[in-house]
Amino acid sequence: MKNVFETIFFTEILQGLGITLSHMFKKPVTYRYPFEATPIQDRFRGIQYIKTHADGRTKCVGCYLCQKVCPSECIHIETDCGPNGERLIRKYELDLSRCIYCGYCEEVCPVDAIHMGWEWNTVASDRSGYVINMKTLSMNYKDNLEGNWKNKHLKKKLVEGVQQ
Amino acid sequence: MVTVKIDGKEVQVAPNTLILDAAKEAGVTIPTLCHDSRLNPFGACRVCLVEQVNNPKLQAACTTPVTDKMEIITRSEKLSRVRKTAIELLLINHPLDCPVCDKGGECTLQDLTYEVGVTKVRFDAKPNDTPVDHTNPFIERDIDRCVLCGRCVRICDEVVNIQAISFLNRGTDTIIGTSFEQPWNCEYCGQCISVCPVGSLNNRIYLFKNRPWNLERVKSVCGLCSCGCTVDIDYEGNEVFRMKESPAEGINHGYMCAKGRFGFEFINSIKRQSEAVVKAGGESKKVSFNEAVEVAVEKLRKVKDTAGADAIAVVVSPRLTNEEAFLAGKLAKDVLGTSNLFSTESEEVYPEATLEEVENSDCVTVLNIDVTESNPILGLAVRHAARMGSAPLAVFYPGYTALKRVAKKFVTGNPDEVRASMESYAAAVAGASNEYSEWAAKLTKAERPVVVFDPYNKADVKIAQDIKKACAKVKVVPAKSKNNSVGIVDMGFGAKCATEFAKGLESGKFKAVVVLGENLSARSVWTKSASKAAGLELLLVTDPFMSETAAMSNVYIPVATFAEKSGSFTNLEGRVQSIEKAVDKGVNTDACVVSAIAKGLGAQLPADANAVRGMIEKEVPLYSGINWDGGVVSYPYVFAGEVAATDGKAKGKGRFFLYPASLRLHSGSFTRWSPDLAKVYGEPMLEIGVEDAKELGIKSKDRVKVKGEGFEGEFLVEIEKKVSKGCIALPEDFVATAGIFCNGKSLRADIVK
Ligand code: SF4
Ligand code: SF4
Ligand code: SF4
Ligand code: SF4
Ligand code: SF4
Ligand code: FES
Repeated sequence: MKNVFETIFFTEILQGLGITLSHMFKKPVTYRYPFEATPIQDRFRGIQYIKTHADGRTKCVGCYLCQKVCPSECIHIETDCGPNGERLIRKYELDLSRCIYCGYCEEVCPVDAIHMGWEWNTVASDRSGYVINMKTLSMNYKDNLEGNWKNKHLKKKLVEGVQQ
Repeated sequence: MVTVKIDGKEVQVAPNTLILDAAKEAGVTIPTLCHDSRLNPFGACRVCLVEQVNNPKLQAACTTPVTDKMEIITRSEKLSRVRKTAIELLLINHPLDCPVCDKGGECTLQDLTYEVGVTKVRFDAKPNDTPVDHTNPFIERDIDRCVLCGRCVRICDEVVNIQAISFLNRGTDTIIGTSFEQPWNCEYCGQCISVCPVGSLNNRIYLFKNRPWNLERVKSVCGLCSCGCTVDIDYEGNEVFRMKESPAEGINHGYMCAKGRFGFEFINSIKRQSEAVVKAGGESKKVSFNEAVEVAVEKLRKVKDTAGADAIAVVVSPRLTNEEAFLAGKLAKDVLGTSNLFSTESEEVYPEATLEEVENSDCVTVLNIDVTESNPILGLAVRHAARMGSAPLAVFYPGYTALKRVAKKFVTGNPDEVRASMESYAAAVAGASNEYSEWAAKLTKAERPVVVFDPYNKADVKIAQDIKKACAKVKVVPAKSKNNSVGIVDMGFGAKCATEFAKGLESGKFKAVVVLGENLSARSVWTKSASKAAGLELLLVTDPFMSETAAMSNVYIPVATFAEKSGSFTNLEGRVQSIEKAVDKGVNTDACVVSAIAKGLGAQLPADANAVRGMIEKEVPLYSGINWDGGVVSYPYVFAGEVAATDGKAKGKGRFFLYPASLRLHSGSFTRWSPDLAKVYGEPMLEIGVEDAKELGIKSKDRVKVKGEGFEGEFLVEIEKKVSKGCIALPEDFVATAGIFCNGKSLRADIVK
């Protein structure tokens, strides 16, 4: 009997329409990317940065551990002996188009140099910018530190995470 | 034989075997840090402690010999604790340097720390922080990382016998260093680096360049001198990062010299050529390999047709592999139809004693050769015999050499005096009674006497032959110089005298010359006629570098070095050893060049080493059925015939005796392209004694002119207290000195300021 009633008066359809109607007055849960950016959580793993000392020297000592641990083999390092017998990093390259953002590199770094950042936007019209070097990685540190986010939703509070 | 039980396993070993070795026999590994089986037991680290049943005291496995019915336990709770503590104590002062330390990844201390499971040091860590020492051009010394195992000190003393480094101070202040913190007085052999279990002594050539886990490795043979050391070539991609000892294999027990350990960088040199060059009408043009071969083939054909096959000559360098030399011989004889095969080597003397026989000899005589410089590993064998086996060692040389420390008798003087002494010594061996009779008696009474001599010096060969004739049990070692000096002779390049080639060039008999790897200008027999080669119809030169001869050539083809090809070398013992290709630098091998030329001339010659080996086994009787990796060739004779007596007297007039001397880390031919060796000795140095230098008012690093009959040259001065009064010495194989020693091995000269 109830079934017949429902069939005749389309109650379920009306219920459905009611839900839809109620959502018209609620805030949307999706983000209109690229006009709007998604919020990022504290433990998000985005584009890496490499910390620098106060005088601007990189903290990375070129130990090759991140290169070794990286499962997608996207880190390439070349080191040499400097003029005063010091360890010198000739080249540090990270290929973002291969990176799977697993964070192993951050985990393995013995001197707390490389970190996963919060920035994630690698979109570009060509691939040339995907391989980033020490200079970019150090710049990324500065950006993360100062909160120069491309992603406007990144909040200052993340900056604290960078500093510690 | 005694019976011991190790971890429940019973083994029979010889009495006085160390517990460590007995354990190895039983298949039990005991961790060690300071032990090295090549050195005397030391017992510094206490990592190898083991328990003996019914003995409350723990025993160091590396110093304690076994006794009958001994029962040893190598794994127990107590031992883990003790080992862990031993490591923890080492870590108190050890800096946490692993990320920047070159040893990271292959460090014994790292491995042990991991193995015993130290995660935290219970003691107050007081990491050392002393500046790193860079005074040695090849060795980085960071004493903070040292665990005082003493291996470096012991190897430098027991094996190298230089005693350059030692323990300084006492107790907790103990460090490894040179006496009174003086600069290293060192042979730069790098043996100390090879035994250091931590990153305290590091190879500066490899320093910080890579990590061991990135490197791939092939076992090969060093191609820089005739000792034939088995080495590991570590490479990544197409770059060689280091040449490293391989202690478990080879005749060199894992010892190497400065050339092998620090001189390999020439393989990666940017000075290497990658393109063939053809010169026509005064213009040189870069061409492809095939084009260069075509030009060469055409010219060879033309010369053969117009002037006959006898106008063609093939010269090979002792750097070539046996396979390549054999192919070159085939090309000359079968394809070109010429018998003009030349090299600097000759078949007048063949090898006899092996390095092992030298080590175990009970009386060694070294005739007029600075063997520790020219053939470093043979030098170590001589030292071993003299020091460990206490064989009486007599050395004849016109100046003190490193063997002075171990020699029981060292005869010096000017070259003429030395020659006269050697002659009387030989006479004494033959029975004459003179001042050397006592020494000759030691030789004749010995059971396994060995005589080392320089096969390139006719007068010395004569003396060695006289000794051998008088005392048949003497085994001689002709100390040939280059890596395949022996092998190319076996492949047919020693039958003709090298001077014949010079004469042929002078007289214009040769119209086309194929030079494989040789640098005519740097060889004293050829240097004078080398310029004649420039005007030939064809001068084809193959060389990894643009050598002086290559620059004169009209067809130049760049070729591979020993790290880029497979094949075999025959060392100074007559031992055939395989080399393995490690990297590819995008150039062809000499074998490819020969095979391509043969193809152009309508013949088929394989370039592949294995195929060539089959041909060699068939066609060279000495090599039939030979083991290509370690087999010793049995030669029919040592001396080809009666060596003619030569007048060994110094030629010319002048205040000084000039003789070819210590090679100073490199001979100037191949290794001069090594930037690192060149940093220390980049050019030939004129060595002069302290007194003479004072009299002439010359200082070190001055530039002086040396003048003699028919030669003249300007050289940097090095004041050496080893050089006898009235003598000066120059290395032989540099282009600048080849022109001097083409006049003879022993000369008189004046120094003009
Ligand atoms: S995040 Fe993972 S994949 Fe990306 S660079 Fe680091 S280790 Fe490699
Ligand atoms: S692990 Fe850290 S210190 Fe080592 S190379 Fe990578 S970023 Fe540099
Ligand atoms: S390089 Fe050789 S001679 Fe020099 S300190 Fe080391 S072992 Fe001794
Ligand atoms: S420098 Fe190396 S080999 Fe020498 S004592 Fe120290 S740890 Fe041992
Ligand atoms: S002794 Fe000779 S073969 Fe051995 S490493 Fe030195 S140069 Fe090479
Ligand atoms: S290995 Fe035995 S005490 Fe060091």
